[in-house]
Amino acid sequence: MSDGSAKLEAFRKEVRTWLRENLPKGWGTPEYKDPERFSTEAHELGKLWQKKLYDAGYAGFGYPKEYGGVERPPEEIAVIREELLRHGSPFGPLSLGLLMAAPTIMAHGEEWQKERFIPKILSGEESWCELFSEPNAGSDVANIQTTAVKEGDEWVVNGQKIWTSMWEFSDWGILAARSDPNAPRHHNLTCFIVDCKSPGYTKLPLKQMTGTSEFGEEYFDNVRIPDKNRLGEVNKGWGVILAGLMAERSGGGAFWGGMGGGRSATGGAARGIGMLSVKAIIDLAKETHHYGRAVWDDPVFRQKIANLAIEVEAMRYSGLRMVAKMRKGIMPTNEASIVKNFQAEMRRRQGDMVMEIIGAYSQLMRDSKRAIDGGEWVYQMMRARGATIEMGTSEINRNIIAERVLGLPR
Amino acid sequence: MEFGLTEEQEMLKTSAREFLEKESNRNHIRTMMEDEIGYSPELWKKMAGLGWVGLIFPGEYGGGEMGFRDLTVLCEEMGRALLPSPFVSTVILSGMPLLFAGTDKQKQEFLPEVAQGKQILTLAILEEDGDFWPGSIKTRAEKRGSEYILNGTKLFVWDAKAADYLLCAARTKHSSDPEDGITLFLLDAKEWGVYISPLNNLDLLRRQYEVVLSNVPVPAENIVGELNNGWAILKKMSLYATVALCAEMIGCGDKVLETTVSYAKERIAFGVPIGSFQTIKHKCADMLSGLEYARSLMEWAALALDDDDPDAPLAVSMAKASCGDVCKMVCDEGVQIHGGIGYTWDHDMHLYFKRVRASDTAFGDGNYHRELIARYIE
Ligand SMILES: Cc1cc2nc3c(=O)[nH]c(=O)nc-3n(C[C@H](O)[C@H](O)[C@H](O)COP(=O)(O)OP(=O)(O)OC[C@H]3O[C@@H](n4cnc5c(N)ncnc54)[C@H](O)[C@@H]3O)c2cc1C
Repeated sequence: MSDGSAKLEAFRKEVRTWLRENLPKGWGTPEYKDPERFSTEAHELGKLWQKKLYDAGYAGFGYPKEYGGVERPPEEIAVIREELLRHGSPFGPLSLGLLMAAPTIMAHGEEWQKERFIPKILSGEESWCELFSEPNAGSDVANIQTTAVKEGDEWVVNGQKIWTSMWEFSDWGILAARSDPNAPRHHNLTCFIVDCKSPGYTKLPLKQMTGTSEFGEEYFDNVRIPDKNRLGEVNKGWGVILAGLMAERSGGGAFWGGMGGGRSATGGAARGIGMLSVKAIIDLAKETHHYGRAVWDDPVFRQKIANLAIEVEAMRYSGLRMVAKMRKGIMPTNEASIVKNFQAEMRRRQGDMVMEIIGAYSQLMRDSKRAIDGGEWVYQMMRARGATIEMGTSEINRNIIAERVLGLPR
Repeated sequence: MEFGLTEEQEMLKTSAREFLEKESNRNHIRTMMEDEIGYSPELWKKMAGLGWVGLIFPGEYGGGEMGFRDLTVLCEEMGRALLPSPFVSTVILSGMPLLFAGTDKQKQEFLPEVAQGKQILTLAILEEDGDFWPGSIKTRAEKRGSEYILNGTKLFVWDAKAADYLLCAARTKHSSDPEDGITLFLLDAKEWGVYISPLNNLDLLRRQYEVVLSNVPVPAENIVGELNNGWAILKKMSLYATVALCAEMIGCGDKVLETTVSYAKERIAFGVPIGSFQTIKHKCADMLSGLEYARSLMEWAALALDDDDPDAPLAVSMAKASCGDVCKMVCDEGVQIHGGIGYTWDHDMHLYFKRVRASDTAFGDGNYHRELIARYIE
C-alpha cells in the first residue's frame, strides 16, 4: 500500500467512526422511524445534520474560504461522499439553498451578499426557496407578472408565486419580478433576495397528488425589499434566473438522480442512492414473490433491473465527467438540461418498475399498515411525476438541448 | 361479431353519461373521497332503479337480460365518471359466480335483492402476495357439523365496508394441484369473527380492505358451486372482471385525453396555446392512437366472451396488457401536459392516474398477461 492510499484508508476510518457516533440513534435499523415527510421535525433533522457535517469539515466544498467554504483534497471529498451514500445519511430539505441559491449568489451577488448568505447556506442554518413560477409563468417563466416598483431605496412587490418547494420552512427566497412594465421580454425582470418573514408575504400550502404539501403558493402584498437585497442589476433578472435554473438542473439533476426509493425497514430514513437503490431493489425482488416465484428469478425483471443498474452507472460516470470538465474551468450551461431530463425520466422508469415488482402493494403508501417499506417506493413513483415537471419540464429541457446545445432552428 | 355500438348500446351510453355527469360530478367525488364507506346508498338505489345493477341477470331474477358487451358500455361510462360505487364488486366479482354456479335457491335468495339495490356483495379472494392465482389461497374452511369454520386473512378486498355479503375463497382440501380444493363461501359480512379494516389504498374512490376471518361459521348451504371446485368458477369470472376493468380504464383514458386536449387548446405559454407545440400535439396523437387500439382489443374480448369464443382467454389477456399499458401512458401524459396543476391534489388527473394503476394490477398486470399470451400463441 502506498503512503497516499494508506492515509486515505485512515481517513475513511475516521469518517466512518464519525458517522457511527453522529447519526441519529437507531439509524439503519428497523427501529429507526423516519419523521413525517415535510414536517418541522424532518426539516430540523436535516438542518441539524448539515450543521454537524459542516462543523466536522464534511460539507461546504466548492466555495472560497471567505464565504465559509471548506477546502479538502478531492480524494477526501470523494471518500466522504461515498461513506455518506453508504450510510444513507439524513437528507434535509435544504436542497434549494445548496443547489440553487448559493451558486446563483456566487455568480451574481455582491460581495456583502456572498459574505452574509453563503456561509449560512453551507452550514445549513438558513433555508431557501425559489420564487419564479406564477400561475401564468411556468415554462414561460419570462412572462412573470409580479411587479417590483422602486420607491426610494426600497422595492415594493405585489403579485403571486406558485408551486414553491420549501414554501413552509424557507428563511429566504430568490424572487423574480417585473421591474419595468415597458421594457421588452427578457429585459424587464429583476431578481431579489427576499426575507420570507417580511410583512405582506403570505404563504399557503398546496397539496400534491402524493397527498403531501411539498409545494405552496405565496402572495405579495406591498412587500418591501431594500435595494441592497437586489440580486444582479436592474432589469437583468433574466440572466440571474437562467443561472439559477441551470444550477438546479445540473446540480439537482446529478443529486436527485441518485435518489432511489427507500427501504425504511432496513435502512431507516436511508434512501437508496445510486447503486444502493439498485441493491435495495434487488433485495426487494428477492423478498417479493409472485405466483409462487421470487421476482428476482424472473428473467423479465432481471433484464429490467440490469437496465436500471446500467442507467445508474451511466449517470455516475457522466457526473464524474462533468466534474472533470469543471476542474478545467468548463462550466456546464445548457448541457444541464441533459442531466436534468435523464434523472427525472429515470426516476419515473425506476418507480414504475418497482410498482411492477410489488404488484398489488403499489396501491399502499405510508398511512397503510400493509405498505411495503413504509410506502416509500410508492411515494417515489408518484413524486417522479413532479420531477419531469419541476426545474423545467422534460419538453422545455428537450427544446433547450435541441435549440441551444445542438443549434437546431427555433 | 358486431363491432361498434348497437342502437340500444348507444342509448345506454348516452343516458349513462348524462346520468353520471349529473350524479357523479366533481362535488360528489370529492365528498366520497372523504367518506369512510366510499359510496352513496341513495345513488346506488337510483342506479338499481335504472336497471343497471341487474343489467345482465336473467329476467326471472329481476334482471335486464342484457349481454356482457352491454355491461362494458356501462363500465366505460363509470370509469369516465370515476363513479365511486360497489358496482364491479357486486355485479361482476360476486354476482357472476353466483350466476354461473349458484343453486336455484341461492340465486332466488340473492339476485333479485341485488338487482333491486338491497344487497351489496364483494369478493374476498386475494391473500398475502396480492396475486390472483390458486396457490396463494391459504384461508382454511373446516367442516364442523352442518357448518364450515373459516380462518384466514384476505387482502385488497374492494368495498368490504359497503358489502352485506362476502364471497370468499377458502381451502377445504389439500392437494398437489393448487386449483383443487378451493371452495367458495358466501358469508355475512356482519358475522361474528369477520374483522374489516381499511388498507388506506391510493384510490380513494374504490376503497380496499383487509378482512380477517377468525373462526367464522358459515352454513354448508352457503357454498357456491361444488365443494373443492371453486377455482374454476373464479377463473371464469376473472375473464369478465378483467374486461370490465379494461372498459373502465378505457373510459378513464378517454376522459383524460378529452380534458388534456381541451387544456392544451386553452393554456397559453410563450403567447400561444401549448397545443400548438409539436411535442404536445404528438403526445395527444399518441394518446388517441393508443386508446383506439386498446379499445378494439377490449371490444373483441367482450364480444368473444358473449359468444363463448374459444379464443376469449387470449382476447382478454391481450386487452388487459394493452389497456393497462396504454392507459397508464395516457394518464402519465395527462399529468405532464397539465404541468404543475396536473400534479396537484385538487386537479382530477391524479384520480384517474391512481384508478388506472389499481386496475392495472388487478387480475394480473401486463407482465402476467403477456406470459399467458405467449403460451396461447405458441
Ligand atoms: C414538484 C414541483 C416543484 C416545483 N418547485 C418550484 C419551485 O420551487 N419554484 C418555482 O418557481 N417553481 C417550481 N415549480 C414549478 C415548475 O417550474 C413549473 O410547474 C414548470 O415550469 C411548468 O410550468 P407550468 O406548470 O405552468 O406548466 P406549463 O408551462 O403551462 O406547461 C404545460 C405543458 O406544456 C408544455 N410546454 C410549455 N411550453 C412548451 C414549449 N415551448 N414546447 C413544448 N412544450 C411546452 C410543458 O412541457 C407542459 O407539458 C415546481 C413544480 C413541481 C411540479
